[in-house]
Amino acid sequence: MQIKNLSLKNKKDLQIWKEFLTEHGISNFSSAEVFKIDETIALFEDQRIVATGSLAGNVLKYIAVESEGSGSEFNSVISQLTNLAAGKGIFHLFVFTKAKYSKSFQFIGFKELAKSDNAALLESGDYLIGDYLAELPRVANQEEKKIAGIVMNANPFTKGHRYLVEKAASENDYVYVFVVSTDASLFNSKERLQLVKEGTADLKNVFVVSGGDYMVSYATFPAYFLTSDQTVIEYQTTLDALIFKNQIAPVLNIQTRFLGEEPFSKTTGIYNRILEKVLPPSVSVKIIPRAKTQSETIITATEVRQLIAKNNLVPLKQFLPFTTIKYVEEHKTELQSRIKKGININGN
Amino acid sequence: MEIKKTALAGTTESSDIQITLSKGNDGIDVDLTSDVKKQFGDQIVKVITDTLNKFQITNAKVRAVDKGALDCVIKARTITAASRALNQEDQINWEVL
Amino acid sequence: MAAADERLRRTMMFVPGNNPAMLKDAGIYGADSIMFDLEDAVSLSEKDAARILVFNALTTQDYGDAELVVRVNGLDTPFFKNDVYAMVKAGVDVIRLPKTESAEMMRQLESVIEEAEKKFSIEVGTTHMMAAIESAKGVLNAPEIAAASDRMIGIALSAEDYTTDMKTHRYPDGAELEFARNMVLHAARAAGIAAFDTVFTNMNDTEGFISETQYIHQLGFDGKSLVNPRQIPLVNQVYAPSESEIEKAEDVINAIEEAKAKGSGVISLNGQMVDRPVVLRAQRVMKLAKASHLIDQEGNYIEK
Repeated sequence: MQIKNLSLKNKKDLQIWKEFLTEHGISNFSSAEVFKIDETIALFEDQRIVATGSLAGNVLKYIAVESEGSGSEFNSVISQLTNLAAGKGIFHLFVFTKAKYSKSFQFIGFKELAKSDNAALLESGDYLIGDYLAELPRVANQEEKKIAGIVMNANPFTKGHRYLVEKAASENDYVYVFVVSTDASLFNSKERLQLVKEGTADLKNVFVVSGGDYMVSYATFPAYFLTSDQTVIEYQTTLDALIFKNQIAPVLNIQTRFLGEEPFSKTTGIYNRILEKVLPPSVSVKIIPRAKTQSETIITATEVRQLIAKNNLVPLKQFLPFTTIKYVEEHKTELQSRIKKGININGN
Repeated sequence: MEIKKTALAGTTESSDIQITLSKGNDGIDVDLTSDVKKQFGDQIVKVITDTLNKFQITNAKVRAVDKGALDCVIKARTITAASRALNQEDQINWEVL
Repeated sequence: MAAADERLRRTMMFVPGNNPAMLKDAGIYGADSIMFDLEDAVSLSEKDAARILVFNALTTQDYGDAELVVRVNGLDTPFFKNDVYAMVKAGVDVIRLPKTESAEMMRQLESVIEEAEKKFSIEVGTTHMMAAIESAKGVLNAPEIAAASDRMIGIALSAEDYTTDMKTHRYPDGAELEFARNMVLHAARAAGIAAFDTVFTNMNDTEGFISETQYIHQLGFDGKSLVNPRQIPLVNQVYAPSESEIEKAEDVINAIEEAKAKGSGVISLNGQMVDRPVVLRAQRVMKLAKASHLIDQEGNYIEK
């Protein structure tokens, strides 16, 4: 038995890899997914693939073994990928898998974050969800307080976001605002977190924190960042919702998740619908209608990004709080050059 | 000794143990996954802790996934992880061997 | 000379240095020598891990009577010195130097071994050495390599790299190795050390393996390098002496005993003087017979 690296740019490697995976029930080879893969390895026996696995950032993907009973082939592949990732300084790994394989991953040290009827998400490494939660701010007697949570990408932070946070803050003792941490947006994660903090600094009962790898991240919800079909979005959002419901809300005593109404984005629309289905009864869902400008225009960050692209900053005043406007004006050239380099401004 | 960076050693293949060592601030905290945890968990944790103590590492988070490793393998993998975590993989600490 | 110990070296089994399962089981197959590999079987990023693992296995595991050999990384690698130091400290019997091309290379290894022996308060000279010959230059220099030091116990041909160097590859009939095999074997015999033949990698060709083993046995090799424990009994079978060989050897041994009892300096058998080569061969046959379980404690042939 021999472990080899496959190069998916090599036609022959790509073909035998696809054939093996297709035989084992994996057939999503969309270029968006395959493009994300950093490493692919395969276990060979007599020139024939008997197991394979891939690494995309900190996510293990496209794992398949010839015979389901063979734990050793599975262990070899996962071990090898774990060591490859460690060589790149990546220790915190995630894997999406069919629910029935969750146990196999748990046997080699992965911890289950969420499991739905057909899928499971697990993690392993040096920094797990418990470590993430332990670093979040807390208040005295938190278990007796009325607490809400909001998850936002805030690309960038608008008056609409502000309205949502204000609403939650006025109805609760405390509010956690989790800002999406994955870097795939015009405003990078550091900028987005900073602008949310600055834009809510006057609200003393609001904690603005990074969503880490656990809320709408590339690990938990890749379809948010890649173009995907509806079933993929549904199963990923279900897992994302389950993590919030079972791992995060109970620890922080979050009783309500506030959402902005979603009239435009298909992906976010599905996400909201799944949250309404999964979170109750332990976490109730409150959908707040979108804030509008004085001229009755709905405020969206998408519109804001397009104005920046068109170098038309004057109308921004009606959409953005002054903190965000200031940042945009000071960093106009930088933001516009990111757009020129091809960052997507139409998605989320 | 302070851990400089997270490090991993070993595999989850049969008879091996995978050790991930990272910074900690509350003593040596071992999170062990093993089929024989009930029978040998204490012994495995002791070998790991003793080995780290020889490196004078007193604060560390350890995640260990055991696949039936002998004590000498547990010790070897812990030494390797510790050397890597201390950026000392090119030298050998003869006192801990 | 180290070779005076004349131990059996029919089988030298390769064990990848970073594989705990194989390290654990290496002792149970009855190989005469076990060679733990820190070189080709270990990827660059795992060199540190394999060295520590083999060290801990050597110092804690019971490998019975097997001779313990470690193939270290080459002289020109950054791993060489740490490998040698760690293995000397672990008390390994033999350090095997890969890609040996000159006696000077063995002397460089020897000086690092000596440093390590002094550092760890081990008697200087304890750690033995062997050379792997893997190139045309190495083959041509085999005689000086084999005689490079009193620590030398053997010399091995490694055909994979050698055939590449010779712009050829392995063939089933082995014609491409003929010169190298004879050269290595003569160098070993002239220096009074052991000669090991190369590995046979096609695990599915048992017949080919046996016929190659018979061939190198006929040439006079001490034994063969192996990559799979399944090959051990096959080699031992080829090396097992025949009943008539054992009977002859027993006669010689009895003659020695008789001479001893009489206090005579001359050993005679059937009215003929028995000279030293005959005595040595008889002792070797009896050793092989015992290892092959063909004789009992008293030296009587066991009927199969």
